[in-house]
Amino acid sequence: MKRLIGLIIILTITLGVAYYVSQNLTPQKSLHPLGKFYLKNSYFGDYSAKSPEAVTSIVWDYRGLDTLFETAVFFIAIIGSLTLFRLSKEQSEEAKQGEPKRELPEPVCAVTKIIVAMILAVSASIALHGQLTPGGGFQGGSALAVAPLLIIAAYSKYALEKNGLDKTRAIIIRSIGLLGIALTALTPLLVKGYFMQNQPIFPGKALGAPLGGSLVYYNLFEYLAVGAGFTAVFLLLSIPEEKFRKFLGVKQ
Amino acid sequence: MISLLWSVTIVSLIVTLIISVYGIAAKPNLVKKLIALTIFGDTANVLVVLLGYRVIYPVKPPILPVWKESALQSFLNTAVDPLPQALVLTAVVIGMAVNILIAFAIIQIYRIYGTLDVREAGRFLPNLLRRGE
Amino acid sequence: MIELHLTILAITALIGLTFSYLAITEKDLLKAVAYSAVQAIAYAIIFYLLMAPDIVLAYVAIAVGIYSALLVFIIGKTERYEVV
Repeated sequence: MKRLIGLIIILTITLGVAYYVSQNLTPQKSLHPLGKFYLKNSYFGDYSAKSPEAVTSIVWDYRGLDTLFETAVFFIAIIGSLTLFRLSKEQSEEAKQGEPKRELPEPVCAVTKIIVAMILAVSASIALHGQLTPGGGFQGGSALAVAPLLIIAAYSKYALEKNGLDKTRAIIIRSIGLLGIALTALTPLLVKGYFMQNQPIFPGKALGAPLGGSLVYYNLFEYLAVGAGFTAVFLLLSIPEEKFRKFLGVKQ
Repeated sequence: MISLLWSVTIVSLIVTLIISVYGIAAKPNLVKKLIALTIFGDTANVLVVLLGYRVIYPVKPPILPVWKESALQSFLNTAVDPLPQALVLTAVVIGMAVNILIAFAIIQIYRIYGTLDVREAGRFLPNLLRRGE
Repeated sequence: MIELHLTILAITALIGLTFSYLAITEKDLLKAVAYSAVQAIAYAIIFYLLMAPDIVLAYVAIAVGIYSALLVFIIGKTERYEVV
């Protein structure tokens, strides 16, 4: 009850302040010059990224270095999480021992299988069409990470590990993604370009399909890195707490 | 009317920022602090995207609909600014990775101290140090 | 027509404010996570109305899926109720 009174007070204050502010507030109608430059140049123009999607071309071409260092932050954050939950070889073998549980009724499991297959297809489509339609590596990767979560929720982590996706493999896939990003960024140096250059080194079109130069490669590798990074973290997180207490020798 | 609706949006987002700062500072529970921190980050992201919005009609996302030179002018007249969106896009995903790191630290703190309350954890720490653990 | 857009925008911003307030004042942490997920859905609608389809695709998967699952995992490994 006390919470509701507080809520009503906050909403009243918000509306009052909003009315006061609105008297001399002019909403913005024009475009910033920098935004205009990006919109004009993303497909046509002298500084083209050969992609009609302005956001993806900013993320991986105009502001490519920014995104590269963001990916480095992502790398360090996931490495930090894995280090905090570090297990020795025997302990990680023991953490894998366990039976997949079947507590949920059969229809739920069947529906989960179908949904997981759909999520895999949709996330790949989001990531690989990133240079044409809304989407890209970050969006596709975070959609991909939902699929192992669903499997962990419906079956258990042991089902995922028995089918071959354990923590080590997830980390390997993530490393392949990060290595691919680094190599794609370094490729222009071979032909006397500059770091992370896109046009005209990478082909804008292949077999009639617009690729957006290097954008499609970056999107593919970022998709692998983000999806597998989150998967590795959730595989560690779903180890039961009793096993961790045993490893650490904590009694409570 | 338009400026009233626009200012309601902005002011309620700023009030959300203030509430979440209160949550980060005043709540003793670490998980509650994490929830408040996430709300704070999301609200800041929405405010950044608001900077690139244009209060006009029709307004379109920054994706070229027709790949022709002639369609460029009408696209420029209706599209929103793509730069804040590109910056927020990476911030959302990276913010999640940092949240996961914080979450792992919280679990580890709970294993060591047996509590999530910062006041109690602060009381345990000097004793642990004195005993040399 | 722009008024309709802005009305939905203002209402969803107020819903986001309401549910963040409820999430921060709630004692039961699982309920707080549920309120926080509702706030995330409101923000996803705001991103959609602000013409940012790229962010919507990332934000829905992150804030409604991964983030809620992460917090449920933490609460399962630690405590459910906040002691004030």
